[in-house]
Amino acid sequence: MDDLPLQKIQISGPTLASLLQRFSSSPGDVDGLLFGRVTHIATSTFSDDDPTTTAAASSSSFDSPTLIATITSFMGSTSTSTFYDSAGRLNLLSLRRLFSDNQTLSLLGWFSGRRKTPLRPSMRESAVTSSLSSKIQFAFQVENSPKSYTFSPCVFLLLTTPFHDQLIHTHEYRAYQFRLSTESFEPQTLDVINIGPAFRGHYGAFCPNSQFPLLPCQLRVSSSMAEDENCESESLKSMERVSEDQRVLDMCAEDFDVGRLNRLIGSDAANYAGELEDMYKKMLAKLEGLAKFVEKSSARVLEQENRNMKLRYRVAGLE
Amino acid sequence: MAINTVPPLIAAQLNYLLSNSPLPINVEQMWSGSKHHGLLDRFTLVIPFCLDYIRWDVIYNALYPLAAPDIIFGPEDESFRPYHVGGGDGDLKSPRKSLSDWNCKDPTWLLSLILELRELYMTYQRKRVGEVDDERLKFELSTIVPREGIEMYMRSGIEKTEEVKFAVPLLGVDINKMVTGCPWRHQQKIFLEVIFPVGRKYRHAPSTPRLKLVASPELKALFSTEDFRLPPWLDDMCMAEYLPILEGLLQSQIVDAVSSIDVRRKFIVALAPLFGRPVEADPVFCRKVAFLTSSGVFTFLVHFSLPLQFPKQQPVLMLQSSQHFNPSGAPIKSPVITEFPWSSTWESSEMAERFFDFLVEECLNFKKYCNESLLQQR
Repeated sequence: MDDLPLQKIQISGPTLASLLQRFSSSPGDVDGLLFGRVTHIATSTFSDDDPTTTAAASSSSFDSPTLIATITSFMGSTSTSTFYDSAGRLNLLSLRRLFSDNQTLSLLGWFSGRRKTPLRPSMRESAVTSSLSSKIQFAFQVENSPKSYTFSPCVFLLLTTPFHDQLIHTHEYRAYQFRLSTESFEPQTLDVINIGPAFRGHYGAFCPNSQFPLLPCQLRVSSSMAEDENCESESLKSMERVSEDQRVLDMCAEDFDVGRLNRLIGSDAANYAGELEDMYKKMLAKLEGLAKFVEKSSARVLEQENRNMKLRYRVAGLE
Repeated sequence: MAINTVPPLIAAQLNYLLSNSPLPINVEQMWSGSKHHGLLDRFTLVIPFCLDYIRWDVIYNALYPLAAPDIIFGPEDESFRPYHVGGGDGDLKSPRKSLSDWNCKDPTWLLSLILELRELYMTYQRKRVGEVDDERLKFELSTIVPREGIEMYMRSGIEKTEEVKFAVPLLGVDINKMVTGCPWRHQQKIFLEVIFPVGRKYRHAPSTPRLKLVASPELKALFSTEDFRLPPWLDDMCMAEYLPILEGLLQSQIVDAVSSIDVRRKFIVALAPLFGRPVEADPVFCRKVAFLTSSGVFTFLVHFSLPLQFPKQQPVLMLQSSQHFNPSGAPIKSPVITEFPWSSTWESSEMAERFFDFLVEECLNFKKYCNESLLQQR
């Protein structure tokens, strides 16, 4: 595991916004895991100096590569100590369970949000971060780099609120990189990347989490039932394939027939713009449906949490 | 749920800490960390360390009252890690063990956690001081370490110079035991505060460190550290040489202070045959005594206040009428009287007689003063 310094940490606008929303809507403290990737940025040294200095510059860039960590998503809970205990020791089982779904992204680090506390790591947070960054099994490869570097999850994002309630300044946050070599928290600048013309160059490190599935666009849907028995079994197989593809498409779009895909490319694609718009409309409808579904289940989760909270209060003698 | 109450489990632990702590720990402020409820689950502890205070924030979660607290240390102590990375479970005394076995129902756990962390903090500061690259400091450390109870602290002083502060406990004697009937709850101690500046410009000129004698606050009833003149720190002296000189002087002065209690007591006893039994007296340190006397029909109280340097320093008198009251209902008192016949060489019985004679005259003046005050009120 190489202990390399990060140049900066990037986070996408929606991710930071939903982190802050999760923190501010939670009744207590929150914590969770941060996912993303670390990429190597090739620094180009344009100089008219003599070759000796340029050689020195390029060799130094090999010694300490420019790394940028990008936070693309997070997984949080509305309670603390989800993957560690009171003494700051990691619970590896629950940690694995938490991010076993996220196979495409690597575990960059974790975050903690606590109200009305100073903006610096606490005793337990230091213990958890140092344990997390020393576990070899969570180390991952740096992308886009000429040499092979491994990086361990050492990013820590701390969210707090100011001590006195203020109307305008409601949250504070700071991102740290924990360096194993010095065992210290180094604050890093947190760049917020948004969609838009000003950020076009910065969005290069992002790639979609849920990709559009690979589907065949030329379908031979038999319009007439063939008399041959061979054709029958063949058409049965093709019908199975079609329904399978439709099922996969239904995961992304609502009510878009698979057969219309062949109008997007090829000879039948005269009006592909209209078809594409229609498909996007159906995809948005699907997203809306999913959002409603999530809302309903969130309401039920909230009910259950309230019940749990009442039980906890009863145990603590607070009622 | 009431607003601004402390959850019972947290309150139990905090109260136990405040009443049973061997060190005077205080709570500076309490606030709530949850969004809606006004349950106070976070507070700042002010802990004495090295003749100064360190502030630690203790963070509980009212929503999870059974969980152990988290602690945020001061802003200069970011490298203080009570835990070791990848260490084993540690011995029984490590805070890791006490946190993972946290028993919320046991009120003693918070106090033991704080005390453990304070010990670790002391070790951490000692290590920091040991890492300072200063030859003189290293020499001092090597010669002074065998002493018990030294605390040291590294801080950045004014103008970005770093300083190392030592708090050296002086006098192995138990001062509490030296005073008969001593009312002190805590053990009284005297410390020498030594501050060494650490910086390049001092390397060639070993300068005198800043010295100050600090005592626990209740000790001033017996002995005043401000009046004590520290012996001079000669050039090229080190702490190991200076401390025995200082302690010798201090020891003799403390013994003198304890014996001066008896001198004061003798004086008070000598006053009794003339003034009657005292109404109020301080029996342990004999610093104050009050008598009720009368001159004719005028009844009044006489307050004597005896300084630590008695009889070298004269006492101070104050008279208080029991028959004249000011508009707010308080009895009229005379201004503090310091002009009276006095000599420190008199015997205590003679002192008492002189005071009696003086007061026979003075109380008439005081009566006039009280009557005039009453007239002015009308």
